[in-house]
Amino acid sequence: MVGNPRTALRSSGSPQGFPSAVFGFAFALPPAAAFLALLALAPRVLDEGALVRSIPWIPSLGLAFSIRLDGLSALFALLVSGIGALIMIYAGSYAKRDPGAWRLFLYLQIFFVSMIGLVVAGNLFLLFIFWEGTSVASYLLIGYAAKNEKARSAAFKSLLVTGGGGIALLAAFLLIESATGSADLAEILASGNRLRESSLYIPILILAALAAFTKSAQFPFHIWLPDGMTAPTPASAYLHSATMVKAGIYLLARLNPVLGLTESWFWVLTATGTLTMLFGAYLGLSQRDLKRLLAYSTISQLGVLTMLIGQDTAIAFKAVVIAVLAHSLYKSALFMTAGIVDHETGTRDLDRLGGLRRAMPGTAAAAVLGGLSMAGLPPMFGFLAKETLISTATHPTLPPFINLILAGTIVAAGALILAQAGVLVLGTFAGPRREGLEARDPPAPMLVAALVPAAASLLFALVPLPGIASLLAAAAGAAFGSPVKVSLALWSGVGIPLALSVVAVSLGLVLLRFESRVRNAQKQLEVGRIIDRLYDGLLAGVDALSRRAVRLQHGRLRLYLSVMFLAVVILFVLFGRPVPPRLAPASVPLDLWAALRVFALAIVVASSAATIVLRRDLHAILALGASGLNVAVLFLLEPAPDVALAMIVVDILTVVILVLALTKLPAAIRARADALDFRESKRQKILDAILASGVGAAAALVAWTALATRPRPSEVSQFYAERSKALAGARDIVGAIVIDFRGFDTLIEIAVFSLAGIGAFSLLCRGALKRDARAADRGSRSPLLRSFAFVILPLCMVLAAVFVMYGHDRPGDGFVGGVIVALAVVFWYAVFGAERSRRTLRWVRPLPLAVSGLALALVQASISYFVNGSFYTPVDFGRRLGLPLPDGFALSTSFLMEVAIFLAVLGGASLVIDSTGHPDDSESCESSGEGR
Amino acid sequence: MPVLIAAGIGIVFAVGIYQILRRNLIRSAIGLVILSNAANLFLVACGSRWGLFAPYSGSPAQTSDPLPQALVLTAIVIAMGGFAFVLAVVHVVALRGRTGDSDDIDRLKN
Repeated sequence: MVGNPRTALRSSGSPQGFPSAVFGFAFALPPAAAFLALLALAPRVLDEGALVRSIPWIPSLGLAFSIRLDGLSALFALLVSGIGALIMIYAGSYAKRDPGAWRLFLYLQIFFVSMIGLVVAGNLFLLFIFWEGTSVASYLLIGYAAKNEKARSAAFKSLLVTGGGGIALLAAFLLIESATGSADLAEILASGNRLRESSLYIPILILAALAAFTKSAQFPFHIWLPDGMTAPTPASAYLHSATMVKAGIYLLARLNPVLGLTESWFWVLTATGTLTMLFGAYLGLSQRDLKRLLAYSTISQLGVLTMLIGQDTAIAFKAVVIAVLAHSLYKSALFMTAGIVDHETGTRDLDRLGGLRRAMPGTAAAAVLGGLSMAGLPPMFGFLAKETLISTATHPTLPPFINLILAGTIVAAGALILAQAGVLVLGTFAGPRREGLEARDPPAPMLVAALVPAAASLLFALVPLPGIASLLAAAAGAAFGSPVKVSLALWSGVGIPLALSVVAVSLGLVLLRFESRVRNAQKQLEVGRIIDRLYDGLLAGVDALSRRAVRLQHGRLRLYLSVMFLAVVILFVLFGRPVPPRLAPASVPLDLWAALRVFALAIVVASSAATIVLRRDLHAILALGASGLNVAVLFLLEPAPDVALAMIVVDILTVVILVLALTKLPAAIRARADALDFRESKRQKILDAILASGVGAAAALVAWTALATRPRPSEVSQFYAERSKALAGARDIVGAIVIDFRGFDTLIEIAVFSLAGIGAFSLLCRGALKRDARAADRGSRSPLLRSFAFVILPLCMVLAAVFVMYGHDRPGDGFVGGVIVALAVVFWYAVFGAERSRRTLRWVRPLPLAVSGLALALVQASISYFVNGSFYTPVDFGRRLGLPLPDGFALSTSFLMEVAIFLAVLGGASLVIDSTGHPDDSESCESSGEGR
Repeated sequence: MPVLIAAGIGIVFAVGIYQILRRNLIRSAIGLVILSNAANLFLVACGSRWGLFAPYSGSPAQTSDPLPQALVLTAIVIAMGGFAFVLAVVHVVALRGRTGDSDDIDRLKN
């Protein structure tokens, strides 16, 4: 027996229970409302053909939230909503003792919404989204009893199979869009032969068929459906009758007018469908679990539908729509009775059931009606479905050979299904009552929910409602592409179909009579689990492969990097093309400036190289500082004064936090890391050096090519240069680009900087181990340094103010100002110790500073937006108000941006300093973050 | 001149990469800074018109190209932020894992 979700439901029950009956009725409201609304709309659909509502969504991508309701959609939507309402009510009683049942209702509701969206979607990609929604919902429902290992693996199986189909569907839709130029369903359906004549036809056909076959459990993708019986029975009933598996059928029927009517369509669908029909019918007979038996009969029925769609005749589509309706009705009724039996007796194993007709007469009535319809016996709607089905096989439009095969398989499958229906109903309700089997009819809502579709199976056949016939005709016509006549008369005269039907029924009765012997014979010839074994083997193979792949992940940073650098070198050697230089050496004057430049470059190179040679980390850091300062000198010689200034302060800050971090590291670790440099093998060092030289050579070549082909006229630079004064009021073009033209970049930049500070802060202050806190907090005793500290802080602040105010006119900007003040603060830390500095400099509150900086940047951008109608278009208040301001300073939004940068950078930098400087006393870290 | 500058940039690049590949994490951090210096040098040099004037509007004659400079200005700030974060990570590795060896980082998973 498969995992029983009902016991799982019970086992997690609480004494209070769960007002699930109320929930059931409440959740039945949306589908019921949808059902009524669809009924009200149905006449208009029948008159007008298709109702379309479209809301533009992402027009540039051709995405529209469009809804299209035609006969086919309406038939499916009515089934989804009508059965959905019954299922919710049923679930209300079913899940009474399960305190977590809100999950069940939620998932069912997702299922309902996705399915209804799928059938009314008017845009391919909308359809795809809902399609995936049904996959996810059925995954959640199948894995509902999550503590049960079987349920989990069944859920995974269903997601893997149907999710794979979803990918195929997306690919098919993309190809359809590229072949027809539209993702709109109406336009595609009106495209005539475009798809059939397209060179993409075969890929589209295969992908769409894959999607439909996985969803509709066609052989060999059927494996997820029987395992999916771990879902709570209301969900199974819904999944089998109206949602999920019907989605694939809907897709095929939907696309038939543009994809069908070809040889390949016929062979792919008919072959798969016939095979699935026989396979499901054959295996269904060997099942002893009520739900599994029903699952296999669903597979068989889905095979029938696929086969019929492949035939592409008017009568085949007539058979499709009748079969869809008949199957939905009897399958939901039978699943719900199976659930009732399970719920009341605690088992759904046919070997333990029997003789329940007296104990549960209402349930028995529903089961008998459903079973008769499933068996295709008169006077049920299922009989009508089977008669139409058989008449398609004897239809003169097909070649006689195929006719013969189809007729044979249909008769065989019909006989098997009849025997199954007999086993199901008789095995449960007829015969002697089993020992210790206590049961009675369930609460009214549950019973009524099961009886309604069962009764409808009878009613629709006996009372020929004209509305149903015309709805079915509209649905069949929409799927076929041209009008189809549908009459629902039970008696269609004596002919070959009736004769075949009689043969099928007699065969089925014989099978039923010798059912146990047939089953024993089937056990000898075990074919059922072949595909499942294949699936298991495939999964095991993937697992083994991934274990191998993980073994490649050695976790050594250096080796990963080496591989990447090596790849760079190899790519460069393979694809690097030397560009002939367009050198203009004459324009480079060889004067004092050039000599200075060469000198600075030499120092940069030498001091960079020194970081390798110097043994102690501290010395290497100082060499790094020297190298950075000389990079700044090079920038200054460029001349690029703004960049040079930023480089200087950044270099100092880098050195400071590196030294801080180094001194705060435990001495033992530091010594060990220091020693590492000499423990590395010579071979390793040589290899690294070769690799580094390779990348360096590549970089040098790129740089040389770039430099030798300069200068090139740059339109962008020209644009900025001409407009910086006029538009931004800035003499400093670089400043104008950073603050105004590319203000948004700068906003992101300071956000990154602040975030890096916050990240460092949270890593070190929340993550560090607690160590001896007091040792680090000494500070310096030198009176000279102390008085110097008192002087330097205000000085730095004045300097920063100047940088911020005249950022647009002279070198320097808010960033430089922020780092300078932060450096002054770190000087205080060094001189007075962290504790005292914090007490004295109460205004240094890193987090509030950073946040207010970012907020100000947004506010100033909004001000420009409200004044000018565009973000980051500067507004000069000073000139507007006619204020007498010093030359070069403008009270504008650009100035506000400089202030914002200053604040954010000061905040971010102090966060970094705070955390790297004092990783050891986490309490003070926390308090500094919150601004004390 | 371009040859000299290109060679210099290449050497600084190589030094940065060699340092990044060291086992000592502090050296790797140093390598990161050197590498970003080299990249910035390259960018700014690309904008060079061998002029003697900074890109200020109203400057006479030839000025250097302002666009690469603006790019580098942003790059410097971002590199600084990234470096600070990397340093914090190194620090945490040192304190938690009691190691400054990049080959030991894998151990921290457990």
